Amino acid sequence: MKVRFRKLLPFVIPAFSIYTLLVVYPFIYSFYLSFFSWSGVGAKKFVGLQNFKDMLFGSYSPEFFNAFWHNVYFFIMLSIFEVGLGFIIALMLATRIRGHRVFQTVVYMPNIISMVLVGFIWSMLLNPQWGLINQTLKAIGLGKLARPWLGDASTALNTIIAVNVWRHIGFYVLVMLAAILDIPKELFEAAYMDGASNWQIVRKIIFPLTVPTFQTLLVLLFIWSFNIFDIVYALEGVQAGPYRSTDVLGTLFYRTAFGGLGSSRTDLGLGAAVSVLIFLIVIPVSILYVRMVERRSER
Amino acid sequence: MRKFFVIFLALLVLVAFSATKVEIWSWRSQDADVWKEVEKKLKEKGLNIEIVFRAFIPTEYDSKMGIALQSGTGPDIIYSRRLPGKRTGDLIDAGLLVPLDDKIDFSHFSQNVLRYISKDGRIWGVPFAVQVVGIFYNKEIYDKFGLKEPKIWDELVHNAEVLKKNGITPFFIPGKEAWALAMQHAMCGVSVLGPEWIAKLEKGETDFLDPKWIDLNRRLNELKKYYQEGFLANSVTDQDAAFAFGQAAMVFYGIWGLQQWRSLNPDIKVGYFMVPPVSEDQKPYAYVYMDGALALTSISKNKEAALEVLKFAATPEFGTIFSNITYNIPAVMGAKVPEDPLFKEVVEVAEKHASPHVYWVGSVFVTQKPSLYTDVLAPGMQEMYAGKITPEEFAKKAQDALSKWFKPLRKRLGLEN
Repeated sequence: MKVRFRKLLPFVIPAFSIYTLLVVYPFIYSFYLSFFSWSGVGAKKFVGLQNFKDMLFGSYSPEFFNAFWHNVYFFIMLSIFEVGLGFIIALMLATRIRGHRVFQTVVYMPNIISMVLVGFIWSMLLNPQWGLINQTLKAIGLGKLARPWLGDASTALNTIIAVNVWRHIGFYVLVMLAAILDIPKELFEAAYMDGASNWQIVRKIIFPLTVPTFQTLLVLLFIWSFNIFDIVYALEGVQAGPYRSTDVLGTLFYRTAFGGLGSSRTDLGLGAAVSVLIFLIVIPVSILYVRMVERRSER
Repeated sequence: MRKFFVIFLALLVLVAFSATKVEIWSWRSQDADVWKEVEKKLKEKGLNIEIVFRAFIPTEYDSKMGIALQSGTGPDIIYSRRLPGKRTGDLIDAGLLVPLDDKIDFSHFSQNVLRYISKDGRIWGVPFAVQVVGIFYNKEIYDKFGLKEPKIWDELVHNAEVLKKNGITPFFIPGKEAWALAMQHAMCGVSVLGPEWIAKLEKGETDFLDPKWIDLNRRLNELKKYYQEGFLANSVTDQDAAFAFGQAAMVFYGIWGLQQWRSLNPDIKVGYFMVPPVSEDQKPYAYVYMDGALALTSISKNKEAALEVLKFAATPEFGTIFSNITYNIPAVMGAKVPEDPLFKEVVEVAEKHASPHVYWVGSVFVTQKPSLYTDVLAPGMQEMYAGKITPEEFAKKAQDALSKWFKPLRKRLGLEN
């Protein structure tokens, strides 16, 4: 065994060094930096746990928790509309109705467009004066529903979620579809022969057998929900307007560390503290994910 | 042996004639052509300098530049921001900038401009532009309805009323960009509140709960019925397009917009007036501030060449080149500005009607967090326009925020002696 391992080393070291340099080192450095106050130039000032105190209990805590609850809201809405709706669409595709291959492709296509482009295109579609959405509403007589989608605090967050669903649902549909198609055909044939209705088949066969996939997807979705940045940045900018109603931990971090507009104070240490807090939220779930995958592969 | 010698000589000659590179970093992508011209003029003077100009998005410039300077890989010249100001102040404290008062002749600059780039008695950069903000209007629309530049606030409202009745959007407001709303508040404040009142605020002789401040909040709130529908979701890009193509009559903006409007619609006829004060006995003022300066970095490897570039930037000739290409007001005096009547009008306003006291960029109120600009006016204006807070509550936010650190206000409220 000893000989074998030494032979493996030269193959492992390159990847391992890149990983250490690009992932482990910045991570440890962020952790270290979170105990200092640093504007990016000049000396660092040691402040101990003050950054964390400010973020969780002090002057920044309203902003922090506002962003935090938005992330939680994102997770809940995306679970329903990406995983839930994805499952329903996958069910429809699994029945192999006419044109299902075309529909499959169409549903997945938004997923290949870069997030920033998605934001750019949708911000044009949502333009209050000449955007396609409001124009269409006015043309079909629903002009009363036309509003400044991204400028109204009551609609901005849900609009961003809707754009996000548009972009990502294809992925969930494909994964769920694969899971459904994995179920042995004999189970369905037997069930139909026993006179089961479609609804009973979904409830008693499909659903239980796809639960592992659901679990994996929800865990991934949780991790992803707490790392959201680019869609908010592309549609609302790092200020996450209107007045922070679309703020998430990612934009809070960017604003705190690098400043938004004409910032009087950028503090990389405080920003690092935000990123450490994001990490602490996400890590228990990530460990859970790894355990689940390990258990599955053992099976 | 002889062959090597010849090649060596040739290389030496090549190196001697190859230009020294001076790298400049900026947040203004529109200045690229300015530096091409400067390079040409320097070559005519016999200075073999190649200027490499790199522009970044304004919101990323500070961090990128800071990191580069810290690691010693940054440029020779940077575009620096105002003083007092944490961004530039930090660079100076970290020894990353070189003071220029003993290396460059600053006689072509006014004291008013130089105070924006001076610290501890030394001058840290060559100012390049001065910005003037106010209300820009479409002359053709005004003429069509027989409107005149308003002398008092109520006349401005009357103009807007006439326009609205005739189906023209009176004001186009980029409500999504909170900084522009803060700018709107500030440019109205120098006229409506007046520099004397602002001076009292700076000294702690009045505060944000003064009826005059609340009155300004209220006036702006009442103006929103003259904004375009859905204004809270529009960006500055939308504003520029709408104004350039005659879809709105007036915008609260700065002279830097002129370049963009002219490029979108060369035939547009733009007029300017300072925000009118409330009554006839008050004088209108304009918010004028130094936009930025050119600073020499201490990590520069070509300091002599960079200094030559900076010396040229301190001359009226640079001002001529700069203003003719970018349609921005040069900070240096004596430049030949474009023969454009609007431009000349704005330059005169900058020289004669600049408010000596301000509360937005370049003021003491934005030097610490929570800043009156990014933490109060910017989000607060959006909230008030959206109807989430009243003008009184908006004023209270300003009071609460500034009383956390602004000493004159803290003394006034008895939080400090």
